[in-house]
Amino acid sequence: MFDNPIVLISGMALVTFLPRFLPLLLLSKKEISPSLSRWMSFIPVSIFAALVASDIFFWEESFNINPLDNIKLLPSVLVILIALKTKSLLWSMTAGVGAITVMWLVF
Amino acid sequence: MASYIALGVACGIVLYDAGFSVLHIFLMSLLVFAGAAQFLAASMTLTGASVSAIIIMVFFLNLRHVLMSASISEYVKRRGIGFLTFFGHTLSDESFGINFSHFQKGSWTPEEALTASLSNYGTWVVSTVLGGLIGSQLPINTTIMNYALIAMFLCMMVMQFVSSAHMIAAVVSVSATVILTILLKHNIALVIATLIASFTGYYIENRRGSGGRQHVR
Repeated sequence: MFDNPIVLISGMALVTFLPRFLPLLLLSKKEISPSLSRWMSFIPVSIFAALVASDIFFWEESFNINPLDNIKLLPSVLVILIALKTKSLLWSMTAGVGAITVMWLVF
Repeated sequence: MASYIALGVACGIVLYDAGFSVLHIFLMSLLVFAGAAQFLAASMTLTGASVSAIIIMVFFLNLRHVLMSASISEYVKRRGIGFLTFFGHTLSDESFGINFSHFQKGSWTPEEALTASLSNYGTWVVSTVLGGLIGSQLPINTTIMNYALIAMFLCMMVMQFVSSAHMIAAVVSVSATVILTILLKHNIALVIATLIASFTGYYIENRRGSGGRQHVR
């Protein structure tokens, strides 16, 4: 945890407010180039994949893809399947939490 | 609305779990008001990321709002700077969805839109604080709680699979993140991986010449 979360919160506030506010003031949809919006469409998927990857392939701080040590791997396969099938955040999270609880109790 | 409250409560719990106090959770929801970004902050804080790495990732995550904001700007153009400040601050994925469809039908004034946004905003602040309070009372298994976040990000990733290029971007991002995290031992790896993967996806889609197709998400 940081010494002062206020710095983090202020920085987050700034980089959240500007992309929401400035276009209201300055832009219309027509003025955004298709190239820019196409590139931007790839950012969320890349971020979510990076967040997931930085967590699930590591166990006790080191790279580990043995599904019996690293108990996050098998539940992740399940979550992806459920997410593909249901597109539901609630179902995916319920399944994921259920699966990791079972893994945690068993291993 | 019920699922929005549930998400807010969950967000408050994970932020508390990551080490934020209830006051800091309140301030974050009040000043930032961005669900995905707040979940990201909880997750990256848990993995020991630096403040700058988190802020850069929040910035990239919020770039999608540029499109939303620009799309909705024509409906609120003649309002003053004070109105636009509040309207911009409370523009979230949820409020954009509601407001944009009402505006397109012509059944919505900017004031009604702001009221709808503000009610989302208030609900979010209250439910995240409630989550923080619950988190402070509950004994929480950290492995399981952290995994709830990962399950959420996995689902959000899958929901972005709108084309095969987007799936390839996800695979590239996963590979780059793992390799760079091992090499650099720093969360800046996520920022670099995000850039590599998003440009790869863009390049692939451009080569396929998919014309002026746009994804607003």
